[in-house]
This record gives sequence, structure tokens and C-alpha cells, in this order.
Amino acid sequence: MIKDKTIIEVNDLIKKFYDVTVLNNINIKIKKGEIVVVIGPSGSGKSTLLRCLNLLEQPSSGKIIFEDINISDKSANINKHRQKMGMVFQHFNLFPHLKVIDNIILSPLKSLKLEETAANKKATELLKKVGLEDRKDSYPSQLSGGQKQRIAIIRSLAMEPDVMLFDEPTSALDPEMVGEVLDVMRQLAKDGMTMVVVTHEMSFAKDVGTRIIFMDDGKIIVDTDPKSFFEDNTNKRVKDFLNKVR
Amino acid sequence: MDFINNIKDNFYLNFVKEDRYLYILNGLKNTLLITIFSILIGIIIGLIIAIIKTLTEQNKNSLTLKILNKFCNLYLTIIRGTPIVLQLMIFYFIIFSSVDVPKLLVAIIAFGINSGAYVAEIVRAGINGIDPGQMEAGRSLGLTYGQTMRFIILPQAIKNILPALGNESISLLKETAVAGYIAIEDLTKGGDIIRSRTYDAFTPLIVVAITYLLIVMLMSKLLNRFEGRMRESDKR
Repeated sequence: MIKDKTIIEVNDLIKKFYDVTVLNNINIKIKKGEIVVVIGPSGSGKSTLLRCLNLLEQPSSGKIIFEDINISDKSANINKHRQKMGMVFQHFNLFPHLKVIDNIILSPLKSLKLEETAANKKATELLKKVGLEDRKDSYPSQLSGGQKQRIAIIRSLAMEPDVMLFDEPTSALDPEMVGEVLDVMRQLAKDGMTMVVVTHEMSFAKDVGTRIIFMDDGKIIVDTDPKSFFEDNTNKRVKDFLNKVR
Repeated sequence: MDFINNIKDNFYLNFVKEDRYLYILNGLKNTLLITIFSILIGIIIGLIIAIIKTLTEQNKNSLTLKILNKFCNLYLTIIRGTPIVLQLMIFYFIIFSSVDVPKLLVAIIAFGINSGAYVAEIVRAGINGIDPGQMEAGRSLGLTYGQTMRFIILPQAIKNILPALGNESISLLKETAVAGYIAIEDLTKGGDIIRSRTYDAFTPLIVVAITYLLIVMLMSKLLNRFEGRMRESDKR
């Protein structure tokens, strides 16, 4: 695929929970290879936007176009498209009844119909990449938060997705474990993965992000590159927010 | 010495003479048969209802599900709102009155249908007790709803359900003591028959009580051991 190709397109997205409008007319185009960091005050709709991208939340109106297919259409086979969109959650959501290795190979076996040996091989490679190959027979409850999140990331990677969505991946971690998870994400960015990251880690946004989207009240207020966002911003709401998180 | 002789005489009178112990043995067999088969029916009905109810909560637009759900609610209300003794009698004297069905089978059906209503709630609570993030994680990996249910939600739910299901089996075992109302010779009825033959209430009734107690204790013990083994996979 060409580098500049649009991979996700959001058109006039509106999401309401009952009569509360959480997302108010969102339009974005995300290109292949971009690292989009979504920031904003809590309740601004960042997570909802992310969850709309893979249809964990059904948009009230508007379109989500992923790899040229309108996946918000009822006739789209959403399971097929989700295989190509990895998602990492704030609370890891590992499957507690399965060993680490089985967490990773479950979906490759069941939805990609991979052979068990091939799936195991792939999982072991990924485990090595994040330095956790010795934990493959552990249960999630035996791991630290940082280890759990690294496993959750490679569980998604095992599906060989084209995009990775991160929903506040470090917010539930103890401070000393944030680094190890961000390192994995940095590596992933370096390898050219397209990423959409909702986070409060400003240093990550500044160093790794190629584009910053600032949201407030269900709207995109600023959509720009990290340099202009952090250095030459004149928007009052952005300034207020940056002063608070610093 | 008199006391011991007394017990010996009573024992002989109530259990040995005219092979009266057979009332207890045969009754025990019937009680166990009813309990085992009705809990099996209960689990099947309960699972089906729990899945219908969970599906209805998730797909609010499906008319078929809505209708099915209404039937489930009707069933749950009726079964949980009336005494089991009465349900048993209605099955025997009204629903199956004109067809020739063995009494034991009628009891199994009645207790099974009754138990299904309670098992349904147990299973539903078990499914609802699983963190919604588990379903989201499964779906975000591209698994279908059915696959996520089967490989992720239900295996975890069963662990939560097991203790409650064990308790349901234990209460069902004791509830079957009303089978005598449709003239089934279960354990309780067996003891009662001996009492009416020997005019000694104490010995047969206490022996029957101890028998129930032993089975319940055995079931509790098996359940604990099984739960322990299930928990081992968590190895906290």
C-alpha cells in the first residue's frame, strides 16, 4: 500500500447516549503510517471516538470507512474488519482463564483459522519481542500490570492488524510500569504501524506522535502536528488543558 | 443394658422384620433418580433461558427474541410464584391425568421444570457477572459473538455459577421429599410407610433424616473439592 493512502475515514460522526451528545459531527482522515494521538479533558469523547472506529460503539449517525469499506454499514462483516484493527484497553482485558500463550493464539486459531503450530510460533516470536517469552505458560493473574498490557498489545498484534487503537493504555498502570509499555508502543511506531492513541502521556504525544487531535465537548478543537500543538498554540482551551496536565 | 436392647429391638422391628429396610433403599433410589434427572433438565432449561435473556438485552430490536423473552418471563413468574408441591400435583392430576406416564417420570419433569426457573437466574447472574471488557476484548480481536460466548464468557461464568448450582441441587434433593403427594415411594415416604406399619415414629424418621443429611454432606464435600480444582487454574 502507498504511504499516503487514507486508511480510516470518519465522516460526520455523531454519537448520542440517550439524549446526551458525546460526539458532535466528527470528521477525520487517518493516513497509513500516522501516529495519531488524541488528547483532551476527561469526558471530551476521546475514548468514545476510538470505540466508534472499530464499532464497539455503534455510531448514531455518520460513516466509518476503513480500507475503503464503509464498516458502519449494517451489511458489513464487522468481525472481518475488526481482525485488521487491533485494540488495547485501559484495563488490559486479558482472558483470566487462559494462559498467556492461549490468550494470544485464541483469535488467530478461531478467526484466522491458523494451524496451532504456526500460531504458536508467531506468538513466541511476539513474546520474545516484548521480553516475556518466559511467561507464556503463566496465567494473567500472575503478571504485573505492565506485563499484562504488553501481552494485551501482542495479543492484538498476533492478528497482524493494519491499525492499532490504544484506549488510555497506561492509565491503569503504576507509574514505574508506564515506561515499559510506552517502549513497546514506541517500537511499534518505529516499525511503521498506523496507530491511534488516546492518552494523557504528553511526552509520548510530543516524541512519538505525528499528529495531535485535541478534543473537547465532543468536538475536534485542534488537529495539527505535535510541534505546533505544544509550542505555538494560541487556542485558549488547549492552553488551559496543557497548563493543567503539566 | 435395657437401653441397648431397646435399640436393637426397634432396629429389628423397623428395618429387618419383613425386609422393611427395602422401603428405605427403594425410596433412596427414587429420591436420587428424581434429583439427578431433574437437575439435568433444569440445567438445560436454565441455560436456554439465560441465553435468550442475555441475547434479548443485547439485541433490543429483534421481535423473535422479544416474544421468546416474554414466554421466558411468564414461565419464571409462574414457577417461582407457586409452591412446588402444587406444581407437582398439577402435573400429575391435571396435565398427565389422562395419559399413562410413570409417576417417577412425572416427578422428574415437574421438578426439572421447577428447577429450570432457578437455574436460569443462576446462569444469567453468572454471565452478567463477567466484566463487559471480556466481551469487548473478544469482539475487538475479530471473534464472533458466539465464539466469544463459547471460548471466553461461558468458561468463566461456569466457575462463578458452580457453587450456586451445587446449592440448587442440594435444595432440590430436599424438595423432592414432597414426591409422596403423588404416591411416589421416595425416601421420606419410605420412612413414613415403616412408621405406619410399626407404630414407631422415632427410629424410621430419624434414620431417614440422617440419610438425607449424609447425602447433603457428601454433595457439599464433592462440590468444594471441584471448586478447588477449578480455582487452581487461577493460581493466585
